[in-house]
Amino acid sequence: MDNFDDIAVLRTRDFWAALVLIIVSGFFLWRTSYIPLFGGNRAGVSGASWYNSAAIVPLGVFGAMFVLAIILLVIAVRAGGAKTALTSVGIGWNKFEAIRFTTIGITIGFYIAGLVPRVDFILSSGLLITALIYGFHKGEPRRMIIAAIAVFIPATYALIMHLPQSQWSKPHDDDWLTLAVWIVLSVIAWRGPRDRVARAVPVIAITAPLVLVCAMAFGFRQNVPNRGGLIFSQIEYQYYVNIRPIWRN
Amino acid sequence: MDFFFAQLSGFGGAFYDLASDPVTYIYLISSVFLGIVFGALPGLTATLAVTILTGFFGNKIPLDYALIALLGAYVGAIYGGSYPTILLNIPGTAASAATAMDGYPLAKQGRGGEALGLTTTASFIGTLIGTFALLVFVWLLLMVSKNIASPEKALLALFGILLSGTLMSEDLVIKGWIAGLIGLAMAMVGLDPLLSEPRYTFGWSYLLSGFQVVPVLMGAFAIPQIIEGLRTMDVGKMVQLEGRILPNLKTIRKHMPTIARSGVIGTGVGALPGVGEDVAGWVSYGVGKSVSPDGKNFGKGSIEGLLCSETANNACIGGALIPLLVLGIPGSPPAAALMGAFTINNIIPGPTIHPEIILRVVAIMVMASFTMFIMGLFTARIFIKILRIPQTVFLPIVMVLTTIGSFSVGGGINDLYLMLGVGFVAFFMNMLRYPIAPLVIGVILGGLFDETFRRSLLIADGDLSVFISRPGAAILLTLNILLIMSQLPVIRCVFARLLRKVA
Repeated sequence: MDNFDDIAVLRTRDFWAALVLIIVSGFFLWRTSYIPLFGGNRAGVSGASWYNSAAIVPLGVFGAMFVLAIILLVIAVRAGGAKTALTSVGIGWNKFEAIRFTTIGITIGFYIAGLVPRVDFILSSGLLITALIYGFHKGEPRRMIIAAIAVFIPATYALIMHLPQSQWSKPHDDDWLTLAVWIVLSVIAWRGPRDRVARAVPVIAITAPLVLVCAMAFGFRQNVPNRGGLIFSQIEYQYYVNIRPIWRN
Repeated sequence: MDFFFAQLSGFGGAFYDLASDPVTYIYLISSVFLGIVFGALPGLTATLAVTILTGFFGNKIPLDYALIALLGAYVGAIYGGSYPTILLNIPGTAASAATAMDGYPLAKQGRGGEALGLTTTASFIGTLIGTFALLVFVWLLLMVSKNIASPEKALLALFGILLSGTLMSEDLVIKGWIAGLIGLAMAMVGLDPLLSEPRYTFGWSYLLSGFQVVPVLMGAFAIPQIIEGLRTMDVGKMVQLEGRILPNLKTIRKHMPTIARSGVIGTGVGALPGVGEDVAGWVSYGVGKSVSPDGKNFGKGSIEGLLCSETANNACIGGALIPLLVLGIPGSPPAAALMGAFTINNIIPGPTIHPEIILRVVAIMVMASFTMFIMGLFTARIFIKILRIPQTVFLPIVMVLTTIGSFSVGGGINDLYLMLGVGFVAFFMNMLRYPIAPLVIGVILGGLFDETFRRSLLIADGDLSVFISRPGAAILLTLNILLIMSQLPVIRCVFARLLRKVA
């Protein structure tokens, strides 16, 4: 069960959470006022009565959230959450955890926003797997930062150079950069202590996305991210031109 | 009696159809195996197993096979959680948390093999009890549910969200309710179901169709797990497994009343909307401790304690499917993921569901439990080896799995942004001890609540008495009010004082 310190930290966080919830529910209550409540008129057509309005349920939901957030705030303040709200102890600040969370956030965020839409899925996922295992297996902050930078560089390049959707499939300069960063990171990982995990990383990083993307594209015949990517476009070409005809004929 | 035989005959037909199809076994064996692996790896959960497989199999293969894959993984994962619980004292899933109380002490006494054998048998019997209850009660409830209309549906959806928020909260109950309201709020995004009025779309056409269930599920369950799990963790010192993993039939026969009681408790808890296998395990363990003559040995390596939790958490699966199939209200978080699979296959669980689907679900459950039993006895050593894989190795693969699964379900890149956004919100909610299950139940039931609540008022011309004039609605409204009032400090104080006086 929680000890007294844990509860104190939790109530401090509750204090901040309650404030955020009050602001968010207040904002959405204001946005709900854009939806006609009392028989609005749209394009000459009279809207519905209050009880049939599209605003009635959201009003109730955000109204209830607003009230509960105030109750949570009162509970947090009574438990001393407001007094310790601005202290690092009260928030439960931990430098190591902050680095860990920030680097994971950067790695995953830039992978989804920058790499997946623009870079070959096998390359981007291989880089992600290598970065996450290298960065977080040993729990060293230096490794975490290197891993985050390794994903950040090609993702930022892809975002800046190929922002519009028309450029997501081609050209392949971002694919090449990702491949280069992946190789460099793999070499860095290889130079460290070569335990069982370190030896397995390159195999996992290549095999897992390759098998997944091929199963999805050719097994389930589903859409996969960035079909025109550097490696997948070649696999797709070879599959339809050379491999599939073997059993089709 | 005729009704009972008719059910058995329908079930027999569905079972024969599935059993005579060789492809069934491919999906069954692979999904149960995957499920046990997901359950056995601490950091991966049953909900995550069903969610990820929904992304892969949900709408890409015929519904029968999709259901085999998802239910097989569900049954396997709930059982698989017992491996690390018994051998490492780390619950593989929340559902096996109560198992640790007696499983690990038993393993330390050199009875790990016996404990795993009993767990396998108890999980098998528990799943069958839950499935039997599903077969019988789902039809009785379906008959009743034909009479429920919009007011009852709206109040039932609200009750599901409130109950899930109340029972799943680790800290303050209002946190569970806030989580449910966040889910409801997310369900409000997009065109409203009656007037097609756009709500909170901020001019982004993707949001017109609302939040898709699968990316929300992936974000809510996978991303926080990945963020939380990516840390150096000592895999732990595994207790040396002694003895063969075999079902001890003599012990099982001796403890049959305990198994039966736990099965009934598990099924009952599972049938409560939004309450998962972990609650079932703990409730059954608590009841066992207070009624069993061996109660004083619970927590010290009691066989009965082990059977209580393991039977109940697997029986909960069948129970959780009852409200899902009858009312369209998921009975547990993995059932919420199953609901997502039904939704993307354009099947609306509830009173209008095709009876054939229910019979198929029952037949799949029986087949999955047999597969789990056989795998548990003969391939346990493989799963024990899997326990040695560190989280930091398999979680990056889970990230890639969720990405491609979420992408392929529908909306492409936008679904990935949604998954990521929901994931970070869910991580912070986890950190602040907000339960995630009510959020997901809120997202899933939000649309139903919105539509049925407004339709009730529309039919009654705005007269709020529609929620008390029908007997079913009046009962549900009373339950909702009682549930809220039971959490008010004043009421709790009065109630506690009354109890003290009576005592």
